[in-house]
Amino acid sequence: MAETPPPTPSFAKQLERLEEIVRRLESQELDLDESLKLFEEGVERLRTMRERLTATEATVKRVLRREDSGGE
Amino acid sequence: MGVGLDLFAAASAEGAWSVSEVTRRARAVIEAGLPLLWVRGEVTGFKRWQSGHWYFTLRDRTAQLRCVMFAKENRKLPAAPPDGMQVYAFGRPTMWEEKGEFRLTVVELLSTEAGGLWQVALEKAKAALMRDGLLDPARKRPVPAYPRRIAVITSPDAAALGDIEAVVTRRWPLAELVLIPTRVQGEGAEADVCAALAALARVPKLDVAIVGRGGGSKEDLWTFNSERVARAVAAAPVPIISAVGHEADVTLCDLVADLRAPTPSAAAAAATPDREKVLEHLAHLGARLSRGLASRADVVRERLDRSLDDLEGAMALYLERCRHRIAAASGRLDALSPLKILERGYAVARDGEGRVLRRVAQLPAGLRFRLRVTDGEVPARVGDS
Repeated sequence: MAETPPPTPSFAKQLERLEEIVRRLESQELDLDESLKLFEEGVERLRTMRERLTATEATVKRVLRREDSGGE
Repeated sequence: MGVGLDLFAAASAEGAWSVSEVTRRARAVIEAGLPLLWVRGEVTGFKRWQSGHWYFTLRDRTAQLRCVMFAKENRKLPAAPPDGMQVYAFGRPTMWEEKGEFRLTVVELLSTEAGGLWQVALEKAKAALMRDGLLDPARKRPVPAYPRRIAVITSPDAAALGDIEAVVTRRWPLAELVLIPTRVQGEGAEADVCAALAALARVPKLDVAIVGRGGGSKEDLWTFNSERVARAVAAAPVPIISAVGHEADVTLCDLVADLRAPTPSAAAAAATPDREKVLEHLAHLGARLSRGLASRADVVRERLDRSLDDLEGAMALYLERCRHRIAAASGRLDALSPLKILERGYAVARDGEGRVLRRVAQLPAGLRFRLRVTDGEVPARVGDS
């Protein structure tokens, strides 16, 4: 199982991991158990990424107020 | 006033004029006779004083005119005119009484040359930026491929903002836009843009920022030609996409920015991946994922088949060996069989219960018994003598 990831890992990180999974699966150096685990992780990531891409309605917009610029 | 002045009367014995009276009167005459006017000429002997005031001379082929432009007026100009520049000066002819000098108090100065003073300022700023390595292409940072947060520095009521929002929503709605409202032209715009660029450092998880401005006249671009703004762009903590120039006019901000876009929409497109393309890529990865597992499974299946074949072979070999051992054992068994002995002519005598009769005492005269020979059994009887 994958380690519990932070709330929403960046899309770039998720995509990197997915590509790594595909590469490893294609390299044929794993046993069947490991392959299955990786495959499951890959499918799960693929699903959540697709969801993120298709479910988002509109871009969130925030306005940085002048007062904000002093804080944080 | 001034008209019909009787100079002879004034110089009479009744009283000569003091120097101050003359210069004061001369000043009054000049100022009354010559209104605010435009003067055209070549700048020479330019000097900037500690106070910030400018002193120079305008000349043409036959005459010269001393000029002053006070700090509060020249502050509005982008640069000082270099000697030899042809200019139009708008000002009031007057008398500088302390020096008894006729001069023009200039309130506005325009160059007749292409680009004018702005061009002078631009070239100066460009040279300074170049000297500090800020125009080096190697400095340019790549724009992240999948941004989470995009800052937009622009006027909140300009079309630029709407354009950027629309493009980001269509292409990459995963990104969050953070608007940093600012004036982009006019008084205070320069400081405003610099403050907005500095504020980028306080936006957490920011990936990229767009400095945008839609259209506007060429003069309005000067905010983005200021050296201060250019340096603020270079110092920004994230890559900057500049969308402030016109097609033809590249601003300093464009030159220093990590990426230059022709319009705000183009800047938004450059800041974001295309969702459709990414979905295609994901589909491709999904296919490779399944293929990867399938081929992995094939390899395992082949190995399993091979193992089964091996197992069958081993089994057959074992059975063959068993067969051999059985044949050998049965041969030996055969050799030891009592029937073999009967074959050689021996016989076995047994009574009615099947007991083997081995001794004479077991065979009294007249006893009926059975005799087993090699090919069967016959009844027999012990004789008398």
